[in-house]
Amino acid sequence: METNLKSKAFQEFSNAAETLVNPVLQHWKDQGGKVIGYFCSTVPEEIITAAGLTPFRMRATGSTGTEESDAFYSSINCSFPRHCFNQVLTGDFKFLDGIVCVNSCDHVRRIYDNWKRFVPTDFIEMMSLPRKTGPDQVGWYTDELAMLKDKVGKHFGVEITDDRLWKAIKLHNETRRLQKKLYELRKQEKPPITGAETLAVMVAGTAMPKEQYNEKLRELLDELSGTEGPGSHRARLLIVGGILDDPAYVKVIEDQGGLVVTDSTCFGSRLIWVEVDENASDPVAALAQYYLTDRPSCPRMYGEHDNRAQYVIDMCREFNCDGVIGERLIFCDSWLVEHYMLGQDLKAAGIPMLKLDREYLTSGIGQLRTRVQAFLETMGR
Amino acid sequence: MVDKGLERTIAERDHFEFLLKFLEESPYETSHLLIPLVKANLDHYKDTVRYIEEGKPIIASYFSNAPEIFTAMDIHWYCPVSAAFAGAGANPYLMNDLEGADKLAVSSDICTLLRMAMYYTEAGLLPRPTAIVGMIIPCDGIVALHEASRRSKEWRGIPMFAPDPPYFTDERSIDYFAQELRRMVDFLTEHTGQKLDIGRLREVVEVTNEQYQLWQEINELRRAVPCPFNWGVGGGPFALTQNRWVGDPRGLEWFKAALADSEKLVKAGKGWLENERIRLLWFDVHPTWFFDLAPWLEEEWKAIIVMDMFSYCPYTLVDTSSEETMFHDLAKRNLMDTTMIRQAVGVADNFASDLVRIVKDYKIDCVVWPAHMGHKDGAASVGIMREICRDLGVPFLSIGIDTFDPRYTTPDEVKNTMSQFFTAMGLG
Amino acid sequence: MLVGGCDVGSATGKAVVMKDGEIISYVIIPSTTKPEVTARTVMDEAIEKAGLSSIDDLDYIVGTGYGRLKVPFANENISEITCHARGAHWLSPTVRTVVDIGGQDCKVMSIDEKGKVLEFVMNDRCAAGTGRFFEAMARVLDCGLEGLSSLSLQGKNPSTITSQCSVFAESEVVTLINEGMELVDIVAGLHNSIAGRLNSMVRKVGLVEDLALTGGCAKNDGLAKALEEKLGVAVKKLPQDPQIAGAIGAALIAEEKLNGQS
Repeated sequence: METNLKSKAFQEFSNAAETLVNPVLQHWKDQGGKVIGYFCSTVPEEIITAAGLTPFRMRATGSTGTEESDAFYSSINCSFPRHCFNQVLTGDFKFLDGIVCVNSCDHVRRIYDNWKRFVPTDFIEMMSLPRKTGPDQVGWYTDELAMLKDKVGKHFGVEITDDRLWKAIKLHNETRRLQKKLYELRKQEKPPITGAETLAVMVAGTAMPKEQYNEKLRELLDELSGTEGPGSHRARLLIVGGILDDPAYVKVIEDQGGLVVTDSTCFGSRLIWVEVDENASDPVAALAQYYLTDRPSCPRMYGEHDNRAQYVIDMCREFNCDGVIGERLIFCDSWLVEHYMLGQDLKAAGIPMLKLDREYLTSGIGQLRTRVQAFLETMGR
Repeated sequence: MVDKGLERTIAERDHFEFLLKFLEESPYETSHLLIPLVKANLDHYKDTVRYIEEGKPIIASYFSNAPEIFTAMDIHWYCPVSAAFAGAGANPYLMNDLEGADKLAVSSDICTLLRMAMYYTEAGLLPRPTAIVGMIIPCDGIVALHEASRRSKEWRGIPMFAPDPPYFTDERSIDYFAQELRRMVDFLTEHTGQKLDIGRLREVVEVTNEQYQLWQEINELRRAVPCPFNWGVGGGPFALTQNRWVGDPRGLEWFKAALADSEKLVKAGKGWLENERIRLLWFDVHPTWFFDLAPWLEEEWKAIIVMDMFSYCPYTLVDTSSEETMFHDLAKRNLMDTTMIRQAVGVADNFASDLVRIVKDYKIDCVVWPAHMGHKDGAASVGIMREICRDLGVPFLSIGIDTFDPRYTTPDEVKNTMSQFFTAMGLG
Repeated sequence: MLVGGCDVGSATGKAVVMKDGEIISYVIIPSTTKPEVTARTVMDEAIEKAGLSSIDDLDYIVGTGYGRLKVPFANENISEITCHARGAHWLSPTVRTVVDIGGQDCKVMSIDEKGKVLEFVMNDRCAAGTGRFFEAMARVLDCGLEGLSSLSLQGKNPSTITSQCSVFAESEVVTLINEGMELVDIVAGLHNSIAGRLNSMVRKVGLVEDLALTGGCAKNDGLAKALEEKLGVAVKKLPQDPQIAGAIGAALIAEEKLNGQS
């Protein structure tokens, strides 16, 4: 990705976001380390880390088509699982030692079924994710997580003690803190890092062991602290949506002069804005509480729209945003209606919003440019 | 200020009133099974209007929420999406409703039913409920609809409770959902003042048990070659046990009559169709435009719809010995035996095992996956369906329709596709 | 103050020269495969028509349209959304909803009393409702674009065209011809189908009168009539060729930039 950042650490992050297996992950594997893929933000990475494994958030980086997965999915399905499953079928995910799924959405939940039936895999698990986020659901999800922990432990021959879990939680919380520091830098008038660059850093964080990641991130933060960017943007934007893992998409937006200074996305601020409670008595319950309730939710959760809208509005104020871009992958029901409601909420709050439909593979760049440019013009910027 | 919700409900009541009169006075032979279904609908709308006019509490709920409990608590409820559905063309405002839905700034790649429901809410065409018991199973879209309803100007602030669905159907999941049903009862009591008497619930469930038992027997007769039952009143069992005459002895009468009809045919070695040639599984519910397709299938191709998702809700009878067993079994039924939800919820094994069972038991000649545009999980299951059909040696057709909107793929286009399929597969 | 607006579209290039807020010349040419060539050619012709000696006579030039990034002599480029809205509003200040039907895309803008865009929706993913679609139809029916318009107006019983896709609509049309449907009814049906699509887009931004059409296809009276019927409002006819609305808007913005107004 084209960037003005000279940082070596950033270069590594950028490369990690543009590939599936980056050198750090490869090294981990070469040393005998194991990698567990997972779908959706609500799968606790900490359980995987606590088992001595590396969690890997599933994406379809590098996919060029869906010829293989077309036999399993239909044209009215979301392009994200179609590309992911295509790569499963072409063997790009052979590096995984297991996969954990949740019923996040109607499109992705069938990856579990298709994967299980058609691709021999040693370790493939599905957890039951509630639709509500209340105390009863936290109780349910705590049990689900406990069962996952047992299954992972049994299969990989590790006893995942509370100690190991707390250690993992502390490590992942440290990651969140560091990433949040990165976000805080973007509150400046001339942020030293763009939205595209930040996304690369965040994606990289889901693709390598956290210890090494944290080290490199600290390096990057050191390099960026006290610096400022060119400040040549026309407007400060927040981007809200689901699975957005392609910095190139954000770059097209930013090339029009709309600097993305914050977000609410699956690879973005929702992962880091709050931390797992390190003072809780039971680590599994603490994880359930965090992943289900404490974290800003995604629209597949029922009863949370007001909270989600408030989160976006608060973010806009905190980061001094001029407007919001809502992106969704076409055929996504959850984000379609969420953006419909959010548009009205933001209008009431006096914040302009542009809604964009996209496909998983970034294409139609000319059309994207036109819409973003027009949006900036309507904001008078 | 005219309450549009009341206005529309009155119009629907009048529509069924007219339909009933028309059928009763028609010189042509009308299936004696159809009239009670129309009556059941009419009674429902009459009650709804009466409750609104008398200012009594009225709940918006869904057929998946243990309707037996509502009957036992003497709570009147209506389903916000039922106006769209109204079964096989009974919605005379369908085109207006579709155009209304099109006017919303919501893209049409989400299930049309949900857009229609959003339209009904925003246009004030639904009676304003005292409280809402939602349905957040089986799909993303229905959850999104509920979020939109909660937030809408029209319904904001109306208390809403939705039982949370577990993804699996094992004992732990059933117990969890049973707890949710108990919370639902507390919610209902809070907002209507009605209490649940377990003895009354037992009475109601004993009636629905009998209804389901008869339903099972009818289903078994449908296995006969030739098949004695046709699509015309295919939505009946679902409508009566889960929506209209829940726990009502009148429902029993209907099932007995339907069973008697089928038995008579089977005993005589006859089927609904003379010269039945194709036994078809329509692996979804009936579209609103089915009257434009199903009769043609019967006439043109001698194809009979032996089974569909309206009818495939096999059901373990509810054990009425205690409160615990009743809640447990009602939870199980809601999770596993509700129309269409049964096949969409949870892992693919749920629909897959149904598919295998139906093809074998009902001697199906071809499987049709209508591929309604709103079934995103179903769309992601076609590979699995195809493989199962291949293993079973039965032809499989995926069409691509909109269950609610005949403009998406017109009935003529569907007929064309099906004709080509039958010819290519050497059927009929 | 001499300013220029250059709208480089997929099908045609348009240039407008304005002096002190008045149009002194405008030109429309078919696009070439190279946007920069189209831009240069159309601008040069407009300069000549205005009686000016060279492009340097213009104080400020704004480029817009699909090829706006390739207008080498433009001082800056502005999206065609903003430009069409501006142009339509200048041509008719009571306009509040603009439906632009271009060669390769169509868009709807809701605008305020100053011609500023409030909201917009675009369809640039498929040919239905664009110039390409009408060209294809005119070819199949062998009647030319003006022919399409006049045929449509004569249709008394418009056929129902159900295909969403313009390629399939073409086959559907051929089928209808073979079935002996009246040509005028088929063409009217086509226009109704497109009007339906545009109607959906208008509903998404919210219809506020007056509504005007811009772009090449705006000159199709059959389409205007079909749209009026679908929307239930009259389409406000613009006093100039609606195809140059984008270039006018660009020129107006050029003037504002000079005056330091934006």
